[in-house]
Amino acid sequence: MTQPVAQPLLTPDRTNGQPLLIVENLVKHFPVRGGVFNRVVGHVHAVNGVSFSINRGETIGVVGESGCGKSTLGKCVIRLQPCTSGKILYEGADITSLSHADMMPYRRKMQIIFQDPYSSLNPRLTVNALLREAIKFHHIVPTSEINDYIVHLIETVGLRPDVRSKFPHEFSGGQRQRLGIARALAVKPEFIVADEPVSALDVSIQAQVLNLLMDLKDKFGLTLLFVSHDLKVIEHFCDRVLVMYLGNLVEELRCDKLHDEALHPYTTALLGANPINDPDQRRPLVVLEGDVPSPFNPPIGCAFAGRCPKVMERCRHEMPPLESKDHGQRVACWAVD
Amino acid sequence: MIKRLAKSRGLRRFMRSKIAMAALAVIGLYFAIAILVGVFRVITPADATVRVLPSRYPGFLQTPTLDKRFEVAQWFIDRVETKLNFAERRKTDVRPLLDELALVERTVAELPPERLRQLIDEAWEVSDEAGEGFDLRDDLLDDLDDATRELASHRDPDTDTATLRPVEELRAFIQGKRAEVQASSGEIDSALTRLEAVVLRIQPLPTGWAGMKYTFRTFLGSDYGGSSISINAFYSIKVAFQVGIVTATICVFIGTVLGAAAAFFGGWVDHTVMWLVSTMSSIPYLVLLAVLVYMFRGTYFDTTSNPFLSLVPLYTAFCLTFWVGTCRVIRGEVLKIKELEYVQAATSIGFGRFYILLRHVVPNATHLMFINFSLLVIGAIKSEVILTFLGLGVKGQPSWGRMIANGQQEVINFAFWEIGSATVLMFGLVLVFNIVSDALQDAFDPKHVT
Repeated sequence: MTQPVAQPLLTPDRTNGQPLLIVENLVKHFPVRGGVFNRVVGHVHAVNGVSFSINRGETIGVVGESGCGKSTLGKCVIRLQPCTSGKILYEGADITSLSHADMMPYRRKMQIIFQDPYSSLNPRLTVNALLREAIKFHHIVPTSEINDYIVHLIETVGLRPDVRSKFPHEFSGGQRQRLGIARALAVKPEFIVADEPVSALDVSIQAQVLNLLMDLKDKFGLTLLFVSHDLKVIEHFCDRVLVMYLGNLVEELRCDKLHDEALHPYTTALLGANPINDPDQRRPLVVLEGDVPSPFNPPIGCAFAGRCPKVMERCRHEMPPLESKDHGQRVACWAVD
Repeated sequence: MIKRLAKSRGLRRFMRSKIAMAALAVIGLYFAIAILVGVFRVITPADATVRVLPSRYPGFLQTPTLDKRFEVAQWFIDRVETKLNFAERRKTDVRPLLDELALVERTVAELPPERLRQLIDEAWEVSDEAGEGFDLRDDLLDDLDDATRELASHRDPDTDTATLRPVEELRAFIQGKRAEVQASSGEIDSALTRLEAVVLRIQPLPTGWAGMKYTFRTFLGSDYGGSSISINAFYSIKVAFQVGIVTATICVFIGTVLGAAAAFFGGWVDHTVMWLVSTMSSIPYLVLLAVLVYMFRGTYFDTTSNPFLSLVPLYTAFCLTFWVGTCRVIRGEVLKIKELEYVQAATSIGFGRFYILLRHVVPNATHLMFINFSLLVIGAIKSEVILTFLGLGVKGQPSWGRMIANGQQEVINFAFWEIGSATVLMFGLVLVFNIVSDALQDAFDPKHVT
């Protein structure tokens, strides 16, 4: 009865030089309502004109502290939330304002893995029902093969096939996260947004889930947008990293150059905050003073100016542009020449 | 669906609560009675109005006074004698006339008219004897009264004690009179017992199955019109259940649909529904109910002959009023659920909004529907009783509200069963539903720590 699906779910196409996803000047503002008549009294500037591109098969990390807009960016990119302005091009096609029906083929290609394994699975659906509804909806496999495909999926994420009839509450956090991954994989996607997939898990489980993600990435040729606040995880996992601060992209660089070539003071501060597991190695410690400015009322100049150790007079009045450097590195800082 | 429900943690937690299981059993008992009455017509509305006893006959736990026993016995003899006299004057057959006197299962004995006449004469004799006993006792009581008053006058400083009998003599006199009254009461009692024996020969108690039915009809006594209190009280269970369950079902449905739609779609849907909710809840609900019921006065539904049609005004009033609470609760829950990540995951798969609402959002609010259902049943039953008490509710069939309204005058005469049975049965039903709602809340609400 069990008839294992031997071939990979998706054959990666690395030959095409065109980026899989291009994001141009993405802006997301949340309106804040107040007063007697519930008028819009202002906006929370969650994402402020972020541009980047992702190549096929590549893994991009997005790092930043809480509230910097990295999760919002991830959700806007796969259109879980409408963006205020900007453009999202998937395989060259503009998907920024497609209707529900036109979006459907792209929905299958883009999936998301959530942070909280406890609220990301419907407590009323069994594992079987959970996977089946997505598979049936997109006609991923013929109806007769659905059961085999589900078993295959469950085994792929490292669970036993007999969990099919269980409910989410019968699983541990790590197992639930595996189920979340299985659901995302069920529709054979090309591009997955992993929205802090391991930050709610135990450290030991984190490693397991990360290794699983890495294996799956290679096996299915996935392209990943990996959102995290943990630079260590990103460094370990990604090809390139986008550093965000208060809705702005402040630096983009290759992960293997992270320690040597990080230019932005914020990136260096983030790196400095990570402990090194070698007691002999020392590096200058940068302790950031102050707090992140309010995204409701962001400063005129560089958002990081208030906490930056290299702050200049110019930083407080003018927003630094994102300038390209070697190896595809980009950085937005007046102090970098 | 059943299998899924049986597997849920909430249900298992609910089953573990012993008091809730006991309450469920009691609800089951009530429900069984309601089904027997409503579906199998074990008790009909006609049963509830038919005369089973003389008016205000005392029931269980109420010992009838000597006067009441005398009155009842005379009532029995008198009505048979009237029919006999009537038949004699008109020279007609007496049997059909006597059959009219039947108190449901308790018919007048199948005896020839001459024998009945004989028994009645015998009864009157005993009755006279008892009457004399009553006269004697009344005299004795008068004497006792005078002596007690005289004794009281001794303590009054204004009276001239010389004209009064000495205190010791008075005390002895009162003691003697009391003994005499006791003795005379004993005589009356024995006379009445003989009288009742004769009455039982004229109109004997039914035996066997009919006897059991008759006992059931009479064990709580009768109201002013002589109809059975127990039958009225048990029939009202059906009315209460009918109103409660119909109202709760419709209200939970309306509340869930409107609440879920308001929360999930937001915008003008939300504004409209919430405007309705706040408008409805700003009006005192009893006034609103009364107005809504009044609107049906003089219409097709203002009838006493069709028990279902006559309830339509009540249903309408309750359904227009009670959905508000459920709607607000469901809206809050859906507002919470729709932001959860599994709903976002469903969006990212590409499901339509209605599919997500019905498959991922509403099923996660079912526990609130259960809790609200049982709370609404209580609310509807209480409101039905209140409205009927005010004369606006149930027409053409018994209801606890009517029993309480009628019974309030009788309570002064220690005839507490009319108010008592209605109150006890309603209290029991409301209590068990409350216990079940509480247990449901404990079992299904994750935030509610026990």
